[in-house]
Amino acid sequence: MKPLIETRGLTKVYPDGTVALRDVSLRVHPGEVHGLLGENGAGKTTLTKILSGLLPPTSGEIRWRGEPVRFRSPREALRRGIGMVHQHFALVGPFTGLENIALGAEGGGALGPLRASTVRGRLERIMDESGLRAPLDVPVETLPVGVQQRVEILKMLYRDVELLILDEPTAVLTPQEAEELFETLRGLKAQGRTVIFITHKLKEVMEITDRITVLRGGRVVASLETREATPEKLSTLMVGREVVSEARRPRKATEPGEPVLTVRDLCVRGESGLRAVDGLSFEVRAGEVFAVAGVQGNGQTELVQALTGLRPFQGDVQVLGRSLKGLLPGEIGALGVAHIPEDRRKMGLILPFTVAENSVLGLQRFPRFRGALGRLRWRRIYGHARTLIEAFSIQAPGVRAPAAALSGGNQQKLVVGRELSKSPRLVIAAHPTRGLDVAATQYIRDLLARLRDEDVAVLLVSADLDEVFQLADRIGVMYEGRFTGIAPADALDRETVGLLMGGLPLEEALRARARARGSGEGSP
Amino acid sequence: MDFAILLVTVLPVALRVMVPIALAAIGEVFAERAGVVNIGLEGILVISAFFAVVGADAFGSPWAGLVAGVLAGLGVGLLHALLSIYLKGDQIISGVGINLLGLGLVGFGAVVLWGSRSFQVPNALWVPGIPVPWGSVSPLVIVTVLAAPFTWWLLHKTAFGLRVKAVGENPEAADVVGVPVERVRLLAVLYGAALAGLGGAALSLDWTHTILNTLPAGRGFIALAAVVFSKLNPLLALFGGFLFGYFDALAIQLASAGGAGEEGQIPYQFVRMIPYLATLIVVAGAIGRARFPQAIAQPYRRE
Amino acid sequence: MSARLGGLRVLLEVGVALLLGLALGAVLMALWGYDPWKAYQALFQGALGDRFGIANTLSRATPLILTGLTFAVGVRAGLFNIGAQGQMILGALVAVLIGGLLDLPPGLHLPVTVLGAMLAGALWSLPAAFLKLTRGVHEVISTIMLNWIAYWFTGYVVIAYLSQGRRSLQVDPTARFPLIMAGSDLSYALLLSVLLAGLVYWALWHHVAGYELRAAGLNPEAARYGGVRPNRSLVWAFLLGGLAAGGAGAVEVLGRLPFAITNDLSNLGTLGFDGIAVALVGRNHPLGILLSAVFFGALAAGRTMMGYRAGVPFDMIQIVQGVIILAIAAPEMWRIARLRPRRARTPAAAGPAGTGTEGTEGGEGGERERERRQA
Repeated sequence: MKPLIETRGLTKVYPDGTVALRDVSLRVHPGEVHGLLGENGAGKTTLTKILSGLLPPTSGEIRWRGEPVRFRSPREALRRGIGMVHQHFALVGPFTGLENIALGAEGGGALGPLRASTVRGRLERIMDESGLRAPLDVPVETLPVGVQQRVEILKMLYRDVELLILDEPTAVLTPQEAEELFETLRGLKAQGRTVIFITHKLKEVMEITDRITVLRGGRVVASLETREATPEKLSTLMVGREVVSEARRPRKATEPGEPVLTVRDLCVRGESGLRAVDGLSFEVRAGEVFAVAGVQGNGQTELVQALTGLRPFQGDVQVLGRSLKGLLPGEIGALGVAHIPEDRRKMGLILPFTVAENSVLGLQRFPRFRGALGRLRWRRIYGHARTLIEAFSIQAPGVRAPAAALSGGNQQKLVVGRELSKSPRLVIAAHPTRGLDVAATQYIRDLLARLRDEDVAVLLVSADLDEVFQLADRIGVMYEGRFTGIAPADALDRETVGLLMGGLPLEEALRARARARGSGEGSP
Repeated sequence: MDFAILLVTVLPVALRVMVPIALAAIGEVFAERAGVVNIGLEGILVISAFFAVVGADAFGSPWAGLVAGVLAGLGVGLLHALLSIYLKGDQIISGVGINLLGLGLVGFGAVVLWGSRSFQVPNALWVPGIPVPWGSVSPLVIVTVLAAPFTWWLLHKTAFGLRVKAVGENPEAADVVGVPVERVRLLAVLYGAALAGLGGAALSLDWTHTILNTLPAGRGFIALAAVVFSKLNPLLALFGGFLFGYFDALAIQLASAGGAGEEGQIPYQFVRMIPYLATLIVVAGAIGRARFPQAIAQPYRRE
Repeated sequence: MSARLGGLRVLLEVGVALLLGLALGAVLMALWGYDPWKAYQALFQGALGDRFGIANTLSRATPLILTGLTFAVGVRAGLFNIGAQGQMILGALVAVLIGGLLDLPPGLHLPVTVLGAMLAGALWSLPAAFLKLTRGVHEVISTIMLNWIAYWFTGYVVIAYLSQGRRSLQVDPTARFPLIMAGSDLSYALLLSVLLAGLVYWALWHHVAGYELRAAGLNPEAARYGGVRPNRSLVWAFLLGGLAAGGAGAVEVLGRLPFAITNDLSNLGTLGFDGIAVALVGRNHPLGILLSAVFFGALAAGRTMMGYRAGVPFDMIQIVQGVIILAIAAPEMWRIARLRPRRARTPAAAGPAGTGTEGTEGGEGGERERERRQA
């Protein structure tokens, strides 16, 4: 069977010399769901950006239905019938669903009036055919993330794409929503469309795809039929060595100690003015990891902001007996709270600053770094930076190099190292391994486990269930600003957590799981 | 009592004064919706005012002058667009450079062409007014008043306007569906520059009938204040232009009515301060922060 | 890229910008029948041809250093403070008032006058700071309005109270800067400017407040999280800038003829705005500003000679300056943008839609880095 799209010897080298793709040959057949598997940094997104016209390849060729093609813009790719749904949705927030879908295909000349009714009519038909429904007349930024994704897909269907590329689509979905997505994809397949599905999640790739291509370090390491694959085989291919056990970090023997962080009836208003956190109560004790799980967008970000002094809140929050109300980030830090922010580039580091300057961000007023008259003690600062580099194996061109020159993993290590140099009693880690390669991810997780063993209280916020189950002693699942359930990690499994993430309260979720198990469904 | 009469008699003048401010503001609203900031409005005003006079002079007609002014505006707009959209330059610095360039260009040009730094526009080249019961109304006032709803229509009722808004909010999203981001931004900037160019031409040919390098006297920045005030709504920009124009006109009338013999006569210089103080107050009081497009003042690079 | 190569590149970019400005000036001059070669020769002669030329250059550079610092400190803090003109004017006014009207003992008169002028400049920067902090008014608009208000106010005071013919009363000899070179315009005011530049350098890179100011300017979010109060840094930036601009007014009125303010404020010229060009060319760094101020001082010093010998109106210099700024605008942003994460208008909350920038998913890397690692 002739492939729908294939690449031959595709290579992508960036101007600074990084080789993102090396001689990649990919073959996708019409009507199949093709999985593109690889860990962070393997080249998946780069490859699909090239296929969808966002980036030009350095060399190699792309063939569409056997003919060589060259895309100079996403528009050209779309014209051929290739559409991509990005991980960060390409939606214009204040626009309605209709406007977002119509943008670029308004049904008339550029200067013509908006033909809203024509667009709507066609959309209704598409929604009926595909079974995908989404509200069209509300600003998309008010829609839940799962619905936004549907708008994105509808956008592509409206343009009658033959090849739909989805980049980590389940990253923002609950397990149940992910199932719905898979249903949709099966429906698209039935319509004769082709799907490329990018992921790093083995279970998904096994479930939904027909064929899989595994990328590692910019190269294709394997291309195989899904029915011939096993999770172990795939994972070895992905990582290139013996798979590191994904098992739980061994729990330490002693019981957790006194509560370090106590939260009662926390309410936080988000950007839009609405309550993002709506009455949260929990505590984190010394020597335990309390994980806040949940799909992003349910108030986790605002929770962390409140706890770190970046956002005002109502309610009672205490660290070691001291209230955090009205305290500035610096003051909270002085109480012994360390924060590994969810976005190191935006919040953790100042990229144009040197490694040394970043190593004291938040510490700049400490007596050891600040001398008489407020003078900065550069010798001490450089020494501190060097210590961090050594202690955390940070690879950096030097302490005077701008932080921007470091790789993501090393940047994160710098942030983590700096935060830990405060000798904290409480560590708030928000998505600490996001976007990092396997080695850095391991490192950070080991570190967090070690902290727990050293009687530090760890509050982990993560959307990655693997990470949660590896590290957590107790899990609280957040949904729409509240906990749908808090329980010891032993008492929960992925499916239950999935239900909690979807809004089901704890008792009901447990009952539902019990029933499912009783009737023989659900995976062991 | 005299003061009340003054407040009313100022109106026709206010309309004339409104033209450059409002036109520049309306145009800038459109450009900023697309995500491009142009603080070089002051420079565009003076440069187009200059070329309007040159054009009128060359062809012996005020209409030719207006066209010349618009073209000059387009030229400067093109420069700004080139620097900030295609060369990914800093939009604010580009605006500052344009302002400085305008100062120098017009000063130099005036001396070179007319031997002195300022020049009086001869009567024959003034834009003729349309006679009305209370005097005359400049056709440009009408154009200005129409420009606001037209721009509003363009922005909210056409596909192009949708693209403009998209490009300002989330250029990546627009790019992905095939909207030519840079081209749309370019067109938006040109639209704004053309309107500002017309405003500059009005400044020299229609209202002050002079040209010198400090002619705009900060009105380009007052127009920016009107943009902030308008929350990027063209209709409010017109209103803002009128508001600021009113204060401007008031100051001018008060200043020229110096010998009115009022008690506590305000010194000339304080009167001249009025427009700037008024602008500060209005901008400070603008209720609620304007919501600017997410991608404003950020050059777009495809990733 | 190693630091040295980076520095070389910066020099190149600046050099190209300067050349471009001069080249365009030459083209315009030629178009209108002037002789560009003769003009630039005269320019060079007037600026650097002899002792007096050099003294003139340095003398003109003196206030430019200070107004350049005003803009540069603002940029470092993430602001566009273009209020140097107004702050300088008020500084000059206060300098004339204290220097001309008050009678102080000789050793005290000069320092007190200078301080008074600097304070005036600093105070005049506060309204803009206040408006920005409380009402979110963009400083580009507010500072321009304040410039004009200062202009008219000072004009009023000069004409109504201080006028002696075509200018205000002169500053007492005890309040004037002593000359470095007899027969020239070069006074020890230059020393003050250089010292202040050094002070700003030390403040920005060797003092905690400067660190925090730079942090807030580069990444307010991360800075806040690092214990910095961006609002405080902002006010410091405005105040420091105002101090420098006020100093520029003092330096101009106390260091050079006519030691007064002309009725139309013409002797104060556009020092404030020129400072912007000086800062941009000097890369917003005190050392660069020193060098850049000398360059622009040379332009200012030579332009009278240019007008005299080649008949070119001095507005040409402003054209050159404008072009230089435009030429600088493009590469500068490109360089900074590669390092700075795009400042999101709202914190990266849930829902990727509408933010358009990195937002979620670790926001890996800047433009290129992100592509690389998100593969």
